[in-house]
Amino acid sequence: MAKSSVDTSRRRFMKGTVAAGGAATFAVGYSDPLLKMSKGVTGSAGEKPNHRIHGNSLTPEYTVDPVSGELTLNPDQRVAFTVCYGCTTKCGVRVRVDNDSDRVLRVSGNPYHPLSADEHLPMRTPVAEALRGLSAYDDQGQQNRSTACARGNAMMAQIDSPFRVTHCLKRVGERGGREWQKIPFEQLIEEICEGGDLFGEGHVEGLRAIHDHDTLIDPENPEFGPKANQLMVMEATDYGRSALLKRFTMNAFATRNYGHHGSYCGLAYRMGAGAVMNDLEKNAHTKPDIQHASFILYVGTAPSQAGNPFKRQGRLIAQARAQGTLEYVVIDPVLNTSASHVADNNHWVPIRPGTDSALAMGMIQWLLNNEGYAKAFLGLPGQPAADAAGEVTYTNATHLVIDTEDHPRRGHFLRASDLGQADTGSDADVPMVVANDELVQSTQAMAAELFVAREIELGDGSSVAVKSSMTLLREAANEHSLATYAEQCGIPEATIVDLARRFASHGRRAVANSHGGMMSGHGFYAAFGLQMLNVLAGNHNRKGGSAVGGGQFNGVGEGPRYDLANFPGKRGPKGVFLSRSRFPYEKSSEYQRKVAAGENPYPARAPWRSLAPPTLTEHLPSALDGYPYPIKAVIGCMANPVYGQAGLEALISDKLKDPKRLGLFVAIDGFLNETNRYADYIVPDSVMYEVWGFSGAWKGTLGKMTTACWPVVEPRQQKTEEGEPVSMDSFFIAVAKRLDLAGFGDEAIPDAEGNLHPLNRAEDFYLRAAANLAMQGEPLPPANESDIVHAGLAPLMPRIERTLKPDEHGPVAYLYARGGRFEDFKDHFKGDNLSGAWKRTLCVYNEQVGTSIDTRNGELNRGVPFHSPPKLADGRAMREVFTEEEWPLLAFSFKSNLMNSYAIGLERLRMIKPYNPVILHRQDAERFGIHHGDTIRIESPGGSVVALALIGNGVMPGSLGIEHGYGHRDLGATPHVIDGESQPDLEWLRAGININDLGFKDPTRSVDGTWLEPISGAAVRQGLPIRVSRIEL
Amino acid sequence: MDSIRRTLLGQLARLSAGAALIPLASVARAAINRQPPRREGDSSKRYGMLIDLRQCIGCQACTVSCHIENAAPLGSFRTTVSQYEVEHEETGEMATFMLPRLCNHCEDPPCVPVCPVEATFQRQDGIVVVDSDRCVGCAYCVNACPYDARFINERTQTADKCTFCAHRLEAGLLPACVESCVGGARIIGDMRDPSSQISRMIDEHRDALMVLQPEKNTLPQVFYLGMDERFVTRPLAEPVALEVLDPNGKEMGYEFCH
Repeated sequence: MAKSSVDTSRRRFMKGTVAAGGAATFAVGYSDPLLKMSKGVTGSAGEKPNHRIHGNSLTPEYTVDPVSGELTLNPDQRVAFTVCYGCTTKCGVRVRVDNDSDRVLRVSGNPYHPLSADEHLPMRTPVAEALRGLSAYDDQGQQNRSTACARGNAMMAQIDSPFRVTHCLKRVGERGGREWQKIPFEQLIEEICEGGDLFGEGHVEGLRAIHDHDTLIDPENPEFGPKANQLMVMEATDYGRSALLKRFTMNAFATRNYGHHGSYCGLAYRMGAGAVMNDLEKNAHTKPDIQHASFILYVGTAPSQAGNPFKRQGRLIAQARAQGTLEYVVIDPVLNTSASHVADNNHWVPIRPGTDSALAMGMIQWLLNNEGYAKAFLGLPGQPAADAAGEVTYTNATHLVIDTEDHPRRGHFLRASDLGQADTGSDADVPMVVANDELVQSTQAMAAELFVAREIELGDGSSVAVKSSMTLLREAANEHSLATYAEQCGIPEATIVDLARRFASHGRRAVANSHGGMMSGHGFYAAFGLQMLNVLAGNHNRKGGSAVGGGQFNGVGEGPRYDLANFPGKRGPKGVFLSRSRFPYEKSSEYQRKVAAGENPYPARAPWRSLAPPTLTEHLPSALDGYPYPIKAVIGCMANPVYGQAGLEALISDKLKDPKRLGLFVAIDGFLNETNRYADYIVPDSVMYEVWGFSGAWKGTLGKMTTACWPVVEPRQQKTEEGEPVSMDSFFIAVAKRLDLAGFGDEAIPDAEGNLHPLNRAEDFYLRAAANLAMQGEPLPPANESDIVHAGLAPLMPRIERTLKPDEHGPVAYLYARGGRFEDFKDHFKGDNLSGAWKRTLCVYNEQVGTSIDTRNGELNRGVPFHSPPKLADGRAMREVFTEEEWPLLAFSFKSNLMNSYAIGLERLRMIKPYNPVILHRQDAERFGIHHGDTIRIESPGGSVVALALIGNGVMPGSLGIEHGYGHRDLGATPHVIDGESQPDLEWLRAGININDLGFKDPTRSVDGTWLEPISGAAVRQGLPIRVSRIEL
Repeated sequence: MDSIRRTLLGQLARLSAGAALIPLASVARAAINRQPPRREGDSSKRYGMLIDLRQCIGCQACTVSCHIENAAPLGSFRTTVSQYEVEHEETGEMATFMLPRLCNHCEDPPCVPVCPVEATFQRQDGIVVVDSDRCVGCAYCVNACPYDARFINERTQTADKCTFCAHRLEAGLLPACVESCVGGARIIGDMRDPSSQISRMIDEHRDALMVLQPEKNTLPQVFYLGMDERFVTRPLAEPVALEVLDPNGKEMGYEFCH
């Protein structure tokens, strides 16, 4: 039970009520009562409900005897565990299904699942006991709940939505015209693979012709790779099926060009986190261990408003609030639900959008000037010192960086090899530090000096200037005064100092966390700076600190039963990504030609971002403009960059319509969104609860876990001739088989003995992955009959039996009976350290960043965080091009706790929050003559929208807040015509505005692009310049 | 500006143990005021709910799961969560305040005696229900409820309201809203059972608990922990969902109006 720490000071008074549940809720719901009275003495004129007292409430899924606890299943229903697609948290859920109609009745949480349950149950718990634990018996179900959020509850409406596509479609008329005809799956596969004059618009190259690994795209630029790279495959995110999509894309068809939503979601944050984690490959990041932290600074992320994992963070922050174990501050341009009036231990501090680096560097300045950092920990120069101190790892705070202007190794660490003490690149070639005023190898000292700046003599006799990482950080932090930082970010100097002081006072249990708020013009360095606070606190791997989490059980690798990572004839993709990422411009033929011709190779025609992963933000516009090379086909799976990337629609919609720029566009989706509206073909996909797959947690859980899902209801869409539902899986399988690609078909999956097994239907892949999951490490025991019955596995068992080996049946059923594999809930700590540890060197200075080249000017990027106002592609300040006089406000978006980018079709969410009025500060309202409830026009350099203004103090002055998820033009907002029949026209799906309609083309680019963050290529949506005006209607 | 039923802020302060909890044992038997005798239900139990506002995150999972479980018409709600912005009087610091609401299953429910056909009644376990076989949809009860907890169901044309998911309690399960409460704020149980979680929490927090509109003397049996007393009466606040606009600024109204 929570200890009471009720706020009794009652310091605040009511100001305004916010929408959720507001307007329509509890409003009077009756009309002409007397008329109805006259119809009779008793009984109503309406439809008769099922039960006189319980009305049409659902029949319970099972009953539990209040005395004995005995559980009796309702034979008309089943409960099964699978995954929710309601957001990218991907919670494990329990789904109640009506056996007769195969309809989903209601959804709640899986009690075994760490993202849904308070304390998730150990795997060994029998399923019947788990179900009983959710009941009122002994109050068990409310002492340890497993929940689904509002959207998780509402999502089931997707299955039978009137807007769902259940048939293969081919466009009629021009691309984007929203008119379609139904075609058989087999015809769709044939046309896509073989091409031809498919639309009466001329010849379209099919996938067979594009799948060419012998011909270069461009012999002048051989690094672009083979023609096969002219297929681009994009998906929203990995909901659990990416392994199969990537098997096709990267290893069977083997195109270089794969992309997902990351670059218009949170990439700037992820890369900033990756920079301190020394991992710009996967951009590892952390979440606070909320249960043991004593102070958390949330910047541009808001637990319980949104964020990932939504429920788990929301629940933990609520518990910590009630127990009084945690103080937290939420720094965000808009007030959100994480700031609670009910307790005193939390605060909201408004910040100007896109200026988070000023806050970060201001705090860092104070911390460095006041020894507000983990001095002893930061002074550990290498692993031997860390081991001796009982630490998991160490930082490079003390490592020396070569800082001589024009030195060929400028930006690199001074290493043992520079002094002739080791071979270059060998294990012994470690960075150097200063200890006891001597230059020593970082592995030789137990403590080293944090602040060093001196000249060093190298092995060859030359001398160089070196500075320690901490010195470089301090110099960056001191580039501006605290007053300047305060002025830039809009947080008073005293507040920045107070935040820094409080952060420091909590020692290694103070944590900083950020996310989508970093999608701004200087977002990478803002995130780098905020994550640096964690390095300075020394909280990584610590109880109550920054946790990388327990990771995932991998079923799709080289597993104990099947090798799902390799297959005979597997290829690896080669060549330059369309987004020109992870490839240094200096190695391109273009660069070398320019240098050979005596031209200045800088600026490059368009940004080449050697640090960034492949980014959809650049893929599409670049491909359509043919730089670095054009493409011939796109396959999209649930991806919707046109809705999701600020400014993209205005930039590319005309080009996307042009079959000469893009020959073939296939979209795999259950719905017609703003992007696949432009497709040539639609492949109807399974929606959640109908899919196979495996997903993990996006940090935020301390234990190792993998969620398993299987079709707990029958997919509603068309079937192939073989009787399989048409879906992403069956599409890729059919294409691969038709093109004779390796890795699919009859002999595709090697088992541990080297025998080959088929991949002809989805379950051939996913069930074998399940076997790998169930049998790895300590294998799971076989499920018993009771588990199978209580987990609703009856429809699954025959498929397990026809696909897997006998000894795999039981353990695989055990896995699905629990909805995945989860490390037992236990103590995730070793003393004061977390058991899930990050062992790489933590970076105060990131050498990879500090030695990368900015292709605008050929200069080195900075290897430590620093503050800068947001800039455009050519390096000019955004405010120089779009002045404050002309565009006085900055628009930003924030996540809704109800709606998301694909939920507008869910009527149970629309009924609670039908609309997204924009939020404007009272001062700005006065300035522009706008009143509460006025209709206003919002204009940006790229677009104009009409909105309703809410006036209040819950937003940073000078900014305008837009809740994300509204302002749709598709997904039901505009009816499509299929075989001459129109979808329903529900105008309410068009309600509201989308911040991305205010995005714009970066006018300083020569190859078209939207405004992107320079290092990461992330779409900038925080801090878009706008103006507002009241409109009379 | 919504100023209906506004009373002076803070006037009625918190409801300490006395007023709200006494009825449990004694008054219940004494047939309060004009209340007809209770019938049906388990007379050995008295259900109540405690909502720990410190743990409410305003996520509306309760709203949606209740709506599904009880097949409410779109736009009608048996429970909901209002979200308020509050501002510090001196510093101007802002925060949010969440207020989940549902039927209070009052000890003296004003909705019961006004029913001309005795369709609305209180069970012996305290749950206030509507017998749809009898209900004529006159809406007297809807008007009589000071908490706006009732509506006329557009499909059945009868009064509709929260039943604490009696059909689930009877099956030994939890109400949908409790089961799905992400923050763990909602606690239901039998207040006559001293070992139940709700009884223990009432004991522990007795002096801090509050109910809505205590001045109506309805003796609500939904108790709030962490309540700001200024919210026990309907607060004077500017509503935010003023209109729904289409992309051209045209007013569309509420989609689910009845």
